[in-house]
Amino acid sequence: MTPTAAALAVLLLPLASAATITLFLGRRPQGAATLSVVTAFLVAALALWLAFSGARFSQSWEWLRLGSFSVGVGIKFDDLAALMLSVVGVIGLCVHVFSLGYMAGDPGRARYFGGLSIFMFSMVGIVLADNLFMMFIFWELVGFSSYFLINHWRERQSAADASKKAFIVNRVGDFGFLLGIILCYWANGTVSLGTVGQTPPVVFSRLIPLLLFCGAVGKSAQLPLQIWLPDAMEGPTPVSALIHAATMVAAGIYMLCRVDFLMVGQARQVIAWVGALTALYAALCAITHRDIKKVLAYSTISQLGYMVAAFGLGSVGAAMFHLTTHAFFKALLFLGAGSVILGCHHEQDIFRLGGLRRRMPLTFWTFTVAVAAITGVPFLAGFFSKDAILALSYERSGAIFTVLALTAVLTAFYMLRLWKIVFLGEPRSEAASHSHESGVSVTAPLVLLAALSLVGGYWRAYPGGFGGVFSLIPEAEGAARAVVLATSIAVLLVGAGAALSFYRCDGDDSLKVGFPSLFGLLSVARTSFDTAYDYYVAKVQQRLAMVLNFIDIVGLAGVVVRGLAGATEIVGFGIRALHTGRLSSYVYWFLGGVVILWAYAAGVL
Amino acid sequence: MSTTAFDPLLIAVVAPLALAATIALGAPKKWVVRLAYAGFGIPALMALLVWWRFGGEPREAHGFAFLSSYSTGLERFGIGLKLGLNGISLAMFVLAGLVGLAAGLYAIQSGAERLKTYLLLLLVMQAGLMGMFASVDIFFFYFFHELALIPTFIMVGIWGGRDRSYAAMTMTIYLTAGAMLSLLGLIAIYVKSGASSFDLLVLRDALASRPLGETLQRHVFGLLLFGFGILVSLWPFHSWAPLGYGAAPSSAAMLHAGVLKKFGLYGLIQIALPLLPFGAVHWSHPLALVAGVGNVLVIGLVTMAQRDLKQMVGYSSVMHMGYAFLGIAAGTAMGVGGVVLLMFGHGLSVALLFLLSTSVHRRTQTFDMGQMGGLAQGAPVLAALFLLATFASVGLPGFANFWGELSIFVSLWGFSHALTVVALTGTVVSAVYGLRAAARVFYGPQSDALARVVAGNAPRDMAWAEKAPALLLAAALLFVGLWPRSLSTGINQALQEAPAAVAEYR
Repeated sequence: MTPTAAALAVLLLPLASAATITLFLGRRPQGAATLSVVTAFLVAALALWLAFSGARFSQSWEWLRLGSFSVGVGIKFDDLAALMLSVVGVIGLCVHVFSLGYMAGDPGRARYFGGLSIFMFSMVGIVLADNLFMMFIFWELVGFSSYFLINHWRERQSAADASKKAFIVNRVGDFGFLLGIILCYWANGTVSLGTVGQTPPVVFSRLIPLLLFCGAVGKSAQLPLQIWLPDAMEGPTPVSALIHAATMVAAGIYMLCRVDFLMVGQARQVIAWVGALTALYAALCAITHRDIKKVLAYSTISQLGYMVAAFGLGSVGAAMFHLTTHAFFKALLFLGAGSVILGCHHEQDIFRLGGLRRRMPLTFWTFTVAVAAITGVPFLAGFFSKDAILALSYERSGAIFTVLALTAVLTAFYMLRLWKIVFLGEPRSEAASHSHESGVSVTAPLVLLAALSLVGGYWRAYPGGFGGVFSLIPEAEGAARAVVLATSIAVLLVGAGAALSFYRCDGDDSLKVGFPSLFGLLSVARTSFDTAYDYYVAKVQQRLAMVLNFIDIVGLAGVVVRGLAGATEIVGFGIRALHTGRLSSYVYWFLGGVVILWAYAAGVL
Repeated sequence: MSTTAFDPLLIAVVAPLALAATIALGAPKKWVVRLAYAGFGIPALMALLVWWRFGGEPREAHGFAFLSSYSTGLERFGIGLKLGLNGISLAMFVLAGLVGLAAGLYAIQSGAERLKTYLLLLLVMQAGLMGMFASVDIFFFYFFHELALIPTFIMVGIWGGRDRSYAAMTMTIYLTAGAMLSLLGLIAIYVKSGASSFDLLVLRDALASRPLGETLQRHVFGLLLFGFGILVSLWPFHSWAPLGYGAAPSSAAMLHAGVLKKFGLYGLIQIALPLLPFGAVHWSHPLALVAGVGNVLVIGLVTMAQRDLKQMVGYSSVMHMGYAFLGIAAGTAMGVGGVVLLMFGHGLSVALLFLLSTSVHRRTQTFDMGQMGGLAQGAPVLAALFLLATFASVGLPGFANFWGELSIFVSLWGFSHALTVVALTGTVVSAVYGLRAAARVFYGPQSDALARVVAGNAPRDMAWAEKAPALLLAAALLFVGLWPRSLSTGINQALQEAPAAVAEYR
């Protein structure tokens, strides 16, 4: 098999799977699940083979041409794409397998697995795309896929609202993204990732980079469009894992790295600050949430902020490295949460869990690995990638370094809070006290991901793999190295120590009991964006729509049309005279008219 | 020009007319439905056949193929029944065939009162639609439009929903006014060209060597723009559309919004742009401003305020016509080609939405979205198709509409930066109302009103007879969405001349 054929297979197999499920397997959930999982396995296998065989190539075909405007479909398979494709393949496979157990009794299983396949197709399309139009196409399809899967339990109002919100908020970001692509097309005559980069591209000062960044703000849930992501937890938990680890939100970071050559200094500065502030804000939000999945959701936003900041500070390597390690431990965290939720009969309130360490040991240990990885315990995956970003920011901007270090304290704090309250102490509800470990399809992905979270940080040491990306990872030298290392360990100890000693395993939030005003402030900060947007939608947008509707009906249809009433009445009067209510009369009038006209024209009359 | 023995274009026009006549002249009752199947099926088959053969067909003048002429006895006025297709009319011809078949199939299973007359009128309309796009002669182009338009009024007046008399009256007045204005413009071209022919190819040759004066072009293009504009619901002459579509029976709404309404855009692209390039440039800025702010932005927001499902679809259609006008204003092959693709995609998706709205109504007994909710649980296939149609109409990649919108947006930047931003805002707006409607009708818990209607019995999902026409439209949307070159190659060939002429005047 040639590399091109393999890449096309990786792209098209999930599409074929989704189409087959939609057309033939709608009533055979078992068949749909099997097909989808087998497809995911093939995708993962081919992706890894492509990545590690060292095949790097690009090829494209014309898809549409109108005048000078041409859109191509093509593949650009370089180290960056290879790295991303491996991550998508591996995480995708884990999520598919996990879903077999998690969704076992769900009546909409066929639809669900069809949705997973279309999600894989869309994401692989973004990864392989060799031009921005094609990337936008698959970008939109990722938006659709997430809509479809978040809305899986469609009898729930909350799911319907969340899916709608996700798609619309993403469209707001895509508005800027598409505008940026169009500008890039007009400024450079092409949007091919291969050719735009060859000559110094025209970027209109910082306009094009920042417009393209809008797309990432939507997809990767950065301020101020982060609001869709916590709501998206309405979808089944494996979907959350997929969205948060390997696909949708990662697409934003990946896209930025793809258009790295279009970036300019001033734009990068904005991007870095958006990322850093998002990281801090989301970490603050995570502290007060009671829902296990939403804590993880805010944690994702925060970590994405890290990646965006890394990119803004000028390092594709650091951003992609953290994306990779984050994919492992965040997928693990979500699937671990899924295992908890499954074992506790869909209880998601952490204060009604507790004591799961003894009843769900495997979930406990793998979750612990993930927590250690995300908080930056030395020699685990997150430690290396986070240190790379800290080192980078230490070198480039003291202010951003401070913000990110503070975020790291908070990360350790809220993760340990979650870990302690869920797993330690005594069960605080019926569900928690009867919790149980689930079957092998649930636990096997946990073990695999735990292994990757342990060793993922060394991936960059692999010689042949992804030099094009990992050679770009910054490393601190000399004194800076010591400062960064000390900071990183101090941050971990402070955050984790504070959480472990402060929180008690009882039925209520210790922060709420101990410092109610601080807790209230953080909660208000968390909901403030939603409040503002809700106000805008209900009070501004909808009212404007109602006013315009009123003008449309009364102003145009009413006054203008009735203004023509003079003419109308006369015509109407005439027509009423002919209006006998019988159909045949209309037909006779019409035919009579045609015959007379024809006869006249043909010279008979 | 020879008359070929087997002319698929002529068959597509004559077959539904002949079958309609057979039905009218008193075919046995049990034959009516079978004749109707044939009457809708034959044009669709012919359309697919010419689509299949178009690529390999030799091109004659101005990129037209399948040319043939028939005597009408009107030659002394320069009128002849001349049929033929270029890449643009091919797309519309295929659209008319597919939407016609879907509307026909849906009408057959609709159980409408006086079904025989209903089918008869639809067949006449179908013949008009096929003839409209197959005509190279402007007189017949117009004649076939009227042939399709008149049954629409009658159908709205007789089988319409609430307010049908008012709706039929409004529609008649607006559309007749639009048709009259455009007829005036067409006659002006005929008179002033000096070619004494209605043949579009003759006119193109004549005006290419001796263009009309600039003042004249301005006036004539203005007439055509307002005339055709009213027919395509250019703001602020759009009030007939939501009203009329809200009242029209589903198959009539499908055919009118899906196909017949495209007459105006088609006329602008195929007649006005190539014959009156200076006029096009002169009017492009006011047109773009009105279409961008009026149709896209204002009507987009108005669409958000709708509670009635069918009215919402009607308004959304007005909004999407704004994109089409913007592409025409841009006047490049990219923009105008995008308009043709959008016309094709929009025709299919709006027809599908009208069809599905009626299917929703059948299960909920209301069009009021405020009273709906949770229909997806009982009717998952209906929900899936509705979602597909909604995403197609909001321009999701994978559907034909996307290519149209993308090309229009890209070309628009070269014309006006501000209006590109306005047009892109529309993509957010249409996502808001589209997904809001889907969520209100299908998702969340079952509404009280729906629970009362079904009274314990879950609403049934779509049966095959109801599903088949919807699947046909969905398949076409996806096919062109995934393989746009199936149409764009021909469209691109057909757009070699007009945009270049327009560009000369810029």
